[in-house]
Amino acid sequence: MPTSVITSHSIGGRDKQPLSFALSGAVVMFMILVGLMIGPAGPQWWRIPAELLDHVPFVSLQSGMSRADWNLVWQIRAPRVVLAALVGSMLSVSGASYQGVFRNPLVDPYLLGVAAGAGLGATIVFTLQRETTSSWIIDPLPLAAFIGALCAVLVTYVVGTAFGSVRSGTTLVLAGVAVTSMLTAIQAFVLQRNSDVVRQVYSWILGRLSSATWGDVRLILPYVVVSSVVLLLHRRLLDVMRVGDDEALALGINVRRVRLIVVLAATLGTASVVAVTGLIGFVGIIVPHAVRLLVGASNRVVLPMSMMLGAAFLVAADIPSRVLASPAETPIGVVTAFIGAPFFLLLLRTRDVSR
Amino acid sequence: MNKLTKAGIAGFLFALTATIAGCGSSADTTDTTIAVEATELTATYPVTVGDLTLDAQPMRIISLSPTSTEMLYAIGAGAQVVAVDEYSNYPAEAVALGTMLSGFEPNIEAISGFTPDLVIASYDPGSLAEQLGSLNIPFFIASAPTNLDSVYEQIEQLGLLVGHVTEADQLVASMQTEIDAAVAAVVAPATPLSYYYELDDTYYSVTSNSFIGQLFNLFGLRNIADNVEAGNDYPQLSAEAIVSSNPDIIVLADTKCCAQTAETVAARDGWGGLAAVVAGNIALLDDDIASRWGPRIVELVVAIGEAITKASAK
Amino acid sequence: MTAIGFCDLTVSYDGTDAVVGFNDLLHSGEWLCLIGPNGAGKSSVLRAAAGLVPYTGSVAINQTEIPAASARWRAQHIAYVPQAPVIPTDMSVYEYVLLGRNPYINYFSSETSHDRDVIDRVLDRLDLVQFAARKLGTLSGGEVQRLVIARALAQEAPVLLLDEPTSALDIGHQQQALELVDSLRREQGLTIISAMHDLTLAGLYADRLVLMHEGHRVAEGTAKQVLRSETLAEFYGVSARVHHEADGTVVVIPQRSARL
Repeated sequence: MPTSVITSHSIGGRDKQPLSFALSGAVVMFMILVGLMIGPAGPQWWRIPAELLDHVPFVSLQSGMSRADWNLVWQIRAPRVVLAALVGSMLSVSGASYQGVFRNPLVDPYLLGVAAGAGLGATIVFTLQRETTSSWIIDPLPLAAFIGALCAVLVTYVVGTAFGSVRSGTTLVLAGVAVTSMLTAIQAFVLQRNSDVVRQVYSWILGRLSSATWGDVRLILPYVVVSSVVLLLHRRLLDVMRVGDDEALALGINVRRVRLIVVLAATLGTASVVAVTGLIGFVGIIVPHAVRLLVGASNRVVLPMSMMLGAAFLVAADIPSRVLASPAETPIGVVTAFIGAPFFLLLLRTRDVSR
Repeated sequence: MNKLTKAGIAGFLFALTATIAGCGSSADTTDTTIAVEATELTATYPVTVGDLTLDAQPMRIISLSPTSTEMLYAIGAGAQVVAVDEYSNYPAEAVALGTMLSGFEPNIEAISGFTPDLVIASYDPGSLAEQLGSLNIPFFIASAPTNLDSVYEQIEQLGLLVGHVTEADQLVASMQTEIDAAVAAVVAPATPLSYYYELDDTYYSVTSNSFIGQLFNLFGLRNIADNVEAGNDYPQLSAEAIVSSNPDIIVLADTKCCAQTAETVAARDGWGGLAAVVAGNIALLDDDIASRWGPRIVELVVAIGEAITKASAK
Repeated sequence: MTAIGFCDLTVSYDGTDAVVGFNDLLHSGEWLCLIGPNGAGKSSVLRAAAGLVPYTGSVAINQTEIPAASARWRAQHIAYVPQAPVIPTDMSVYEYVLLGRNPYINYFSSETSHDRDVIDRVLDRLDLVQFAARKLGTLSGGEVQRLVIARALAQEAPVLLLDEPTSALDIGHQQQALELVDSLRREQGLTIISAMHDLTLAGLYADRLVLMHEGHRVAEGTAKQVLRSETLAEFYGVSARVHHEADGTVVVIPQRSARL
């Protein structure tokens, strides 16, 4: 029957979706492999796929890699690549969710105070932890950053829902701006009194993947997984919210509850990520936008695609970060800006940016 | 999705990869052992300092701290050093190595590319200890000292680790002698002179609790930054506070970073009338020497002594 | 069978009463039109019924009071077409109508084939099949109006609330939209409450009119009974003639003041 033939094609190219997902998945895998192969030191790049294949059961391949080299790839490079994938994915899906739940293309995962809260937490730890031999049982830095981020968002939520319409997303955003300003001011005050840690704080704020360890990956994995699953489950609801709070409410969505859950989940994931890598910027805003330009604005597709392409993007960005200025590191935030901005401009030129 | 866009993206990624593959992974990992003459191996291995145990004399040392670099070369371990950080600009042999590692944002892969058997840094900027540990590379933290005795202790620790105990002892002894001599050469005036120590041109200073401050304490000087801010050894002073306390001596440790000289200080509004400015009792220090705690602190102490002599003589 | 009933509905914004003690009962298939000057409370009645503003009193569907906590239940029984609907420009027509199925799709699930059948039927009925893949930004005003009604229909709700459904349309599309709503009403037994500015059209299509003023009901009845020039002059402050056509149509004709 003609009707159903047309409508099955009509939902924005539904039949093309599996292809898009498969392609993105392939890009992520490819990027991870490339990330593992390239670095400022270590074995020649072609030995690595050989060694990896050797680990596959029933496949035996001599890669000629030394024990020390494999150690380097597995203990140093691999956690860094995996962490980059997790962080890129989390920041992107967070950004996409925030943009969906606030219907505002300019929001990023740091919006409601995550960045300022984490930064303040880190600053306090740096000023308290001047002795280099750490006598703490667990590393206080990620913990303080995490708690700082969560508390900041909590304050934002309390402030933002105390005034104005409780359903209004704008009020919450403004509250976030206010809380961010206040926390940043406190941080500046603390730094001024403890100027010898300015350098460490600044480098933490710029974000880094250089100190990635498997411990970091294990630390954030549960938060990232839980957060991503919750956000993905809410894709369809975010699509309904595209017609605004009022209409979404009239269509049967508990707008306040959905907004709260999405913000909570995205904040939890972002806070955990920020706790171990600092504030890597650019990813949370640009990747979802780029994805929208590629596959349209339906959140059902944008969220999972953002996860995958965000992962690929950060893994890709980390390669020049550790290779370009070797033996020094280029801060990852600088690289994401340099790669992301022109790429985004290119997409803007070739596509119509109608929301 | 537009076919052209897909192709463009794929092409972009391939080009990016090819470019990077072409220029990456080419660090020199050949195992050139530096032929070391049997320099005074006056230690027996294994040695233990704190948590660190070395089984053999380290011949491929990486120093990520400019002070440690100076110490290593001063105790005769220079031939064992294969890489230093970007700020290790003394002595000239260290610079000649041509390596520019970062002590603040260490690139662990680059570090391991040198196949070091000992890495020394002044602090752990991230998970450096953990990462080096997973590669089984010994790591020693030579942290900033709180007083002069810690400096001597650190030199001796390094001497033990790198197998130059005798030279280390000799260095410590000569430093002590020279410092004592410098202090003795200065006739302390009846009322202690006051001094203002300038870290940068926004008037960050140090108190007498800081390491540098303790060197000044050897001469019995009074620091105008003391008790300005409880608990903060690096307070930022206000211009008014400095001017109203009218220090006898101004010590500039920002000659390199912020291009401060006696002339620039005199040109500051309100500073022209200060006793130190009028009498020309402005001591200029090399930023590097003033911020490190290696063998060259002797020069620092001597410079302070000369400044006091000049100020007292007036 | 009462399709929808209002009992003492009161809506207040910041201490000012927008609607005071609104009572009404509509039976299934009835078309009620709320008229009145700006600020009379017409939209507020609709928004309260749609659950968009808090209210005291009760609104009941088929004699069951709407549970305050369940937006889904409400959305399954009341479909609200706002005055200025948000039209995301790069959503497709199909996706937009799909939104109307939200009250029936489980929280975390996707639409089922039954939902897709409903959408297909609605698109077919409203002549939107050929637009199914088009982006909303490419549609004309009249097409958008049909689209918004389509989404409301997809909700399969017995009650339809229309807030100023014709304000943004030209005369031709106004007629099309209202005729469409009327035929749907007859086909599916929908109960309709609309708020309208155009008095002639209101009288033409609604079974019953209620004139509101400052939150209160001040007149009620058929078009003939409510649309009288004294009434209009009193509550609208308009100087108008009311003309009765042969077929019973009541036409409101505003009069220019006599000037030379």
